Amino acid sequence: MAVSSADRLAGIVGVGERDTLMFPTALNLPAGHPLNVADIEPRSGIWHRGDPALQTAWLDCRMRSAVLSTDGFRRLVTDGWINPPANRARFTLIYTPGETPGYSAWWVGQQEAQPADLEVSGRPDLGWAQLEPGWPVNVLRAMRVAVIGVGSIGAAAAEVLAGYGIGTLALVDPDRLLSHNLIRHPLTARDLGRTKVAGLADHLRRTWPETAVEPLALDAVVDADRIRPMLKECALVVCAADGVTPRRVVSHLARHARIPAVLACVLEDGEIGEVLRLQPWPSRGCLTCQREHLAGSGGFDPEPALDAPYGLGSDDRPMTAVAGDLHLVGTLAAKSAVATLLERAGHHDQILPGDHLLLALRPRTDLPPPADLRRTGDQRWLQVGPPVPGCPTCDPDTGPR
Amino acid sequence: MQVSTAFGQFQTIVNADPSSVAEARRRRNLFRDALQPLRDVVSVIPSGSLARATQLDPIHDVDLLVEFVPAEHPEWGSPGGSADDALTYLAGQVMRTLGATSGTVANEVRLTSKRNHVVKCFLDDPEAEDPFAVEVAVALRQSDGSLLLPERYNSRWITADPEYLISQVAGRQQTWSDFVPLVRVLKWWRTNSAGLDMKSLAMEVLALRCLPVQNTRAAALAQFFTAAATEVMYGVFDPAGHCGEIQPDLDRDATRSKLLEAAELANEALDAETAQDADKAVALWTQLFGAEFPQPSGQQSAAKPASAVAATLIAPRRRIRDIPQG
Ligand SMILES: [Zn+2]
Repeated sequence: MAVSSADRLAGIVGVGERDTLMFPTALNLPAGHPLNVADIEPRSGIWHRGDPALQTAWLDCRMRSAVLSTDGFRRLVTDGWINPPANRARFTLIYTPGETPGYSAWWVGQQEAQPADLEVSGRPDLGWAQLEPGWPVNVLRAMRVAVIGVGSIGAAAAEVLAGYGIGTLALVDPDRLLSHNLIRHPLTARDLGRTKVAGLADHLRRTWPETAVEPLALDAVVDADRIRPMLKECALVVCAADGVTPRRVVSHLARHARIPAVLACVLEDGEIGEVLRLQPWPSRGCLTCQREHLAGSGGFDPEPALDAPYGLGSDDRPMTAVAGDLHLVGTLAAKSAVATLLERAGHHDQILPGDHLLLALRPRTDLPPPADLRRTGDQRWLQVGPPVPGCPTCDPDTGPR
Repeated sequence: MQVSTAFGQFQTIVNADPSSVAEARRRRNLFRDALQPLRDVVSVIPSGSLARATQLDPIHDVDLLVEFVPAEHPEWGSPGGSADDALTYLAGQVMRTLGATSGTVANEVRLTSKRNHVVKCFLDDPEAEDPFAVEVAVALRQSDGSLLLPERYNSRWITADPEYLISQVAGRQQTWSDFVPLVRVLKWWRTNSAGLDMKSLAMEVLALRCLPVQNTRAAALAQFFTAAATEVMYGVFDPAGHCGEIQPDLDRDATRSKLLEAAELANEALDAETAQDADKAVALWTQLFGAEFPQPSGQQSAAKPASAVAATLIAPRRRIRDIPQG
């Protein structure tokens, strides 16, 4: 057995007879797991054939925090009994094929046998299949979703999308992970200096091995020609890119690819989270049109022509949004994206209350309507208005019908 | 009454009367027997709802494609007058073989009338209300298996593949024997819902896209209405990919509203069924389909429609600058 004393954890790495190792049993644990570097203690446990009553006793003892007497335990061992050493309890595994549970584990001492927690690793029946039929695993497994911008919001959204069971994620972002990102980004110094898409792809493959990840170190604006055909293969695009220009570009490209876009960001100084779903339908407008509708209502500035630089944590450009709030907005964006896909697949419980969510994160008392949310966590869902006549993105002569 | 019992009874109301289906088939076969032996005909192919078994009562018409040997009509298939010529020729052959006064095979067709794509052959008095007609089209097989059909009004020939939808529907029916009966239920809903101006073919294509294989008819319909409400916003297109949007003037938003309304009722009905309240479930389905759906046996419970609340906008004190971060 490999034994990690600090974790009070042991793993069976081989089974044999006396001093001869007959069956090495690979644990197949990922790099960094303590059992991979733990000391190997040979002949540290015993593998018994036992009476099925031992398995029931194991469940019973665990439930009632009880133990068996070593004598009682011994009577249920079918063959191969060896007295435990005097100085410490010995690990014992009982296997009864065809029973449920098939395995039980014990620490057997001179006086008593104590049930041990047991986990059988590498079972083939794990993964998304465990969520069926309650969750539409196969519908989402067949989907490809693009995430454009994998900063703090986009990376959080990508993780949640994988957790919902999206089959393929295309990650788009040209930036590298820098030291000042670490305070808010889900990635750690382990990926410092790498492109965010490469680091996130590795991270997601470790965490969600059933999701295929395609890292693309591209810029939504500069590389629009390469992103355009990619979006045609996607069911939906989530955009968490910084700044007005890339968001406008994604709004435009998604509409022409006839796929919905979910745009997520925080506004002002992290006061308000925004998740905006744009449907490529003739009666729904694009990002620019929706901003114009809201500007007409007086609450929003139209999209400014120039992007203001975002906070870097320096004195003149303070960082204003905190990791938890950004991740919350990313999570809501992923939820909105998955709900959009599932509604189209006929899942009535995934119909959103609207297309445009405003979420109070750190609301000031003087926020104007429709963002006049007073308490953190307050939400308001708005509808997306129709295209504004003459909009170059929504015009039916140039855009989709 | 259990929901499945109610759907069973409703299905017999929706289905076309077997005797009228038999009569429609007899008339279709009459055309096949008359035209198939002709020297320049490859085959006579049933199409339309009767071929897909998705027909509703009353049956007004039956569709047939007459595939001709291209070598016998080398001038057909090119833009120009040949589109009209081909339909004129077919109308002549129909009257010659089936005309009421001098048909060589039978005497059943009173009148033929050329339309954009077909020759409409009246077997009943054309002046009667909804007279029965057989619509016959000229078709030329192309090398990729699709068909070339004349379009008179535009003096051209168009590519179409009506056999694609027939085979798709048949394939789905093989997977689930409730599929085609449910398409008839959806077409019935379409016909009997006030303010729904959707074409019958559009509904069939929407069903092919959005009606899933499910454990129960109720669950499948509930999922259909929800999915279709979104799908219709993308437009309903020829599934074979040749003829573009089936109904370009369809009011998508109005259709979506109708489908969402139905989705709301259907899913409430599903929830009631899950909660073992069969009477409430049947009452909700009755609300959805109207009085011809069986009434619940017990007390009827009312379903409340969902309402949306619009945000009120007042003059702002301050403006949000849209400068996304993160
Ligand atoms: Zn627009």
